[in-house]
Amino acid sequence: MSRIELKSLRKEFGSTVAVKSLDLQIEDGEFLVLVGPSGCGKTTTLRMLAGFEDPSDGEITMNGSIVNDLEPRDRDIGMVFQSHALFPHKYIYDNIEFGLRMKNVPEAERRKAVEDVAEMVHITPLLNKRPAQCSGGESQRVALARTLVTHPSTFLLDEPLSSLDAKLRRELRAEVDRLHTELKKTFIYVTHDQEEAMTLADRIVVMNEGEIEQEGSPMEIYSNPKSYFVADFFGSPSMNLLDGEVISKEGKAVFQHGQMEISVPDTYANLGSGKVTLGIRPEHVVVSTADGQIPETIDLVEPMGKDTLLYFEAEGERPFVVIVEGLILDDYKSGQQVQLTFPDDKVYFFDEAGQRIR
Amino acid sequence: MNKRTKKRIFESFRYSTLTIWLLIVAFPLFWIVSTSFKPDAEWFAWPPVYWSETPTLANYANVWTGKEEYADTQYIQSMQKPWVALGNSTLIAFISTTLAVFFGSLIAYGVSRYQMLSEARMFQLLMLRMVPPIVIVAPLSLHYSTLKLLDTHLGLILVYFLTTLPYAVWMTKSFIDEVPVEVEQAAEILGASKLRTIWEVVLPLVRSGLVATFLFILILTWSEYLLALILSKTEVVTLPIELSKYEGSTEGRVYGRQAALAVGITIPLIIIGLFISKHLARGFSFGMVRK
Repeated sequence: MSRIELKSLRKEFGSTVAVKSLDLQIEDGEFLVLVGPSGCGKTTTLRMLAGFEDPSDGEITMNGSIVNDLEPRDRDIGMVFQSHALFPHKYIYDNIEFGLRMKNVPEAERRKAVEDVAEMVHITPLLNKRPAQCSGGESQRVALARTLVTHPSTFLLDEPLSSLDAKLRRELRAEVDRLHTELKKTFIYVTHDQEEAMTLADRIVVMNEGEIEQEGSPMEIYSNPKSYFVADFFGSPSMNLLDGEVISKEGKAVFQHGQMEISVPDTYANLGSGKVTLGIRPEHVVVSTADGQIPETIDLVEPMGKDTLLYFEAEGERPFVVIVEGLILDDYKSGQQVQLTFPDDKVYFFDEAGQRIR
Repeated sequence: MNKRTKKRIFESFRYSTLTIWLLIVAFPLFWIVSTSFKPDAEWFAWPPVYWSETPTLANYANVWTGKEEYADTQYIQSMQKPWVALGNSTLIAFISTTLAVFFGSLIAYGVSRYQMLSEARMFQLLMLRMVPPIVIVAPLSLHYSTLKLLDTHLGLILVYFLTTLPYAVWMTKSFIDEVPVEVEQAAEILGASKLRTIWEVVLPLVRSGLVATFLFILILTWSEYLLALILSKTEVVTLPIELSKYEGSTEGRVYGRQAALAVGITIPLIIIGLFISKHLARGFSFGMVRK
């Protein structure tokens, strides 16, 4: 059993505050993903959990007892590092065996445990090699095995896949998911990759500038973002965010962004007037050659295979992106005029402070 | 001029410069070796004798065995004790080097992992070593005289330990810095104590660096002259001092004997140097080269 609780956890490095005041409960067997841009405090939080950083303030409890002063080795945790951190001078076998040897497990048992775990993560042929002879993906499997073999009740994973290429990353992501399902242990996973967070997590904790921005299930985070930051961070391609103003036109509230004018859905009657940001996900925009709310000219067509991305010019840094299903090169061409419709229930509004308006 | 010709010109320039430099550096070595095989008459001969036509082992026999049977003339140097000096040098160099590397690596670990010394302090440490020994040796000899350390093994061991410590810190730090801190943390979280982590993970990874540092400092200490000259002389004689004793009031310097002794004490250093040249280059980058 492992229930972890963070109570007003804070970490300062000199005058910089890495983690402001974090309150978080992690349930036994949960797959929790800490996600956020670099410098948001997610890795510092994980390192405090591991015991490599001492909190400046606050408490960490595991199973009801405070572990602030416990050495990393006494916390019943395992950790996988971004850099693999294998022992370069030891054979893969000895790397995996290390933790068992430290725990004075008898030799015969150690051998069996190492062989079993090697089987589990498919690295049996590597046992007689050195870390330098392993590829990045293999090294990370070894790092996983080295942690798995000691049976910790909680696994801490610090961006374990970010040094791998895209294909390997997907492969190992599935592997991590499988391990979590099989082992039913608590996984705390740090990443800056929203896709990893979405696919792996039972619960996502989005961090920004040392604070929790939002926590919830992947679907909740995706479909119900609390703020501009979360809306922008999740989704690929990310949500279209249009800065504009709500004005009153002929007694009706209208959102105005450059030349674009969209009537505000009735559900946002309390929007008032003033500066807001409108958000809509690329897959929610309805494109039609016949009729719609907004006439726009296609800037670029990007066929992705399963989907096609349509780019439109927009005021602001990023183009406005729409995803349409299928390979539709015949229907849409760059320079073509189309009609866009924003379904009422798919539109988000954010105020000037970046908070969601409901 | 195309790229290939340019490269060729550059390469030939590079190699000719290096060849000239090698000749300049290697000539004194050649001269010592050649002199060590010359009979007495050829030591001062003019025009110089580059390689004797009647090479002799007399110089070696005389210096290292004290036997005079091969020599034409007897010189006062037969009273010298090169083997005692060799013993002294070995004892002093090995003990002070061991101390310097041991304490140096402890400090280096503290600096590398716990920022025990700021960067400014680390440079001050190195500056300490840049002070010419002549500046410190006079006041030091006064203190040594009060402390009764003059002309003792302990005195020389102490001064060598302290003057080579900065090198030891800097060199071992560059090796420790190369060991990623995550590797240590991985060991710790797998259940290893701090000592066990250092023993099983850090030490094997920096071993070659420690060996290089050890041998480098050993060479420094082995060949140190000035401090040994002032702080010891009669009782505790080291090899470089011994070397300077091969001269007589009437004969002047006994070059052949000196050369024979010099060859004897240089060969071990050259062998060591060849072994560690690769490590030395790495150690001297002072960790400024990032991987």
